[in-house]
Amino acid sequence: MTAFKKIEDNLRMEAKNLLESGKVTLVLAYGGGFDEKHPVPYVAKAAADADHLVFNEYCTYNMARYLTRYPKGTKIAVAVKGADSRAVVQLIQEGKLRRDDLVILGIPATGMKNQKTGEVIDARTTASTINPVIFDVLLGDEVHGVKAGSPYDVLAELEGMDKDARWAFWKKEFERCIRCYACRKACPMCYCDPCFMDMSRPRWADKSPTDDGTLMYHLTRFYHLAGRCIDCGECSRACPVDIPLYLFHKKVAKECEEMFGQAAGMNIEDKPAMANFKGEDSDQMLG
Amino acid sequence: MSFEPKILGIACNWCTYTGADLAGTTRLKYPQNLRLIRVMCSSRINPSFIIRGFQLGADGVLVGGCHPGDCHYGTGNLYARRKLAITRKILEFAGMEPGRFRVEWISASEGKKFSEVVGEFTEQVQTLGPQTKFKITKDGQ
Repeated sequence: MTAFKKIEDNLRMEAKNLLESGKVTLVLAYGGGFDEKHPVPYVAKAAADADHLVFNEYCTYNMARYLTRYPKGTKIAVAVKGADSRAVVQLIQEGKLRRDDLVILGIPATGMKNQKTGEVIDARTTASTINPVIFDVLLGDEVHGVKAGSPYDVLAELEGMDKDARWAFWKKEFERCIRCYACRKACPMCYCDPCFMDMSRPRWADKSPTDDGTLMYHLTRFYHLAGRCIDCGECSRACPVDIPLYLFHKKVAKECEEMFGQAAGMNIEDKPAMANFKGEDSDQMLG
Repeated sequence: MSFEPKILGIACNWCTYTGADLAGTTRLKYPQNLRLIRVMCSSRINPSFIIRGFQLGADGVLVGGCHPGDCHYGTGNLYARRKLAITRKILEFAGMEPGRFRVEWISASEGKKFSEVVGEFTEQVQTLGPQTKFKITKDGQ
């Protein structure tokens, strides 16, 4: 695809310029893997590394994940797609990053594909944001005229279910969880150290993959990401047993948007929904 | 014999817990199914407490706090309202019956309201029957 090739060329050029001029010390983007279908997250540290950068339809990783791993004040350039850019905004809102330290390379991309299934992911996750909401340099042409419908359409089936059927559905999904914590590792918003699951005092949940510990882990994680999940879908793609975690996260995001009137990571001025309240909040939300 | 539910109550120190105290001192009756835990503020309640309560065998969870605007700490219950609202949605989407979780604002002078709410809620949980979805059984879940 020519659009992807163009983005790749621009990415290499920008990365080279930024690293050569010393404006940034790192460029977080995608590098070639063992074949075209398996690119890897890549950190370019010198101008020569820029030639290893790639971009194609399988570059689904959310590179905002790696931003919080570097000390504050590190000058970083990061390549972000639509949803990933919302993660950057959300991290800035939460005070984990400073806008001045970042050079945001925006990538407007449609037709991204799941590495495992080859399925186009746009309609399932990231549907609401194709163009980055924040960027310094745009690496491709903005995409207009693609209307994928509401990002919450995929929830219709589960929402229509009876509560017992829904419990049966989630119980069956969570039973497969092997507690590898890949969802947590892939998530740009999961930066807590230590995570509540790694604590032994209090011991929030069983650390071996028992059903009750798994339930506690996932439900608490859904709650921790309330009003913060930016719907990149990386948790579900990272999952080795393909638990559709994105559905639950999406549902929580939908409820947050309806109740608190704000979607995660859309505006740098917003306060995170769960660390805020408004005068117009009413008891109806508890109903 | 009819089913006697276990109800976990989590109450804020300044309003609901004092309200429960008042219910006691004015000799109002309420069902003995309630196990009340005192916290300093309703915003102290971590949603994991509620999930853990269900896992350890509670059939219903009742959360009490000060009326919005009356929080001893100014704004604690306004944050709590958002947290508990989203907790409710998460429990519902996971498949828990919505009737098993209730949030009620009860002030220190509302001993009567406290006993009424506990009575109503206990009855409601009684009709729902035992909670089996989250509960941990001995041989794993």
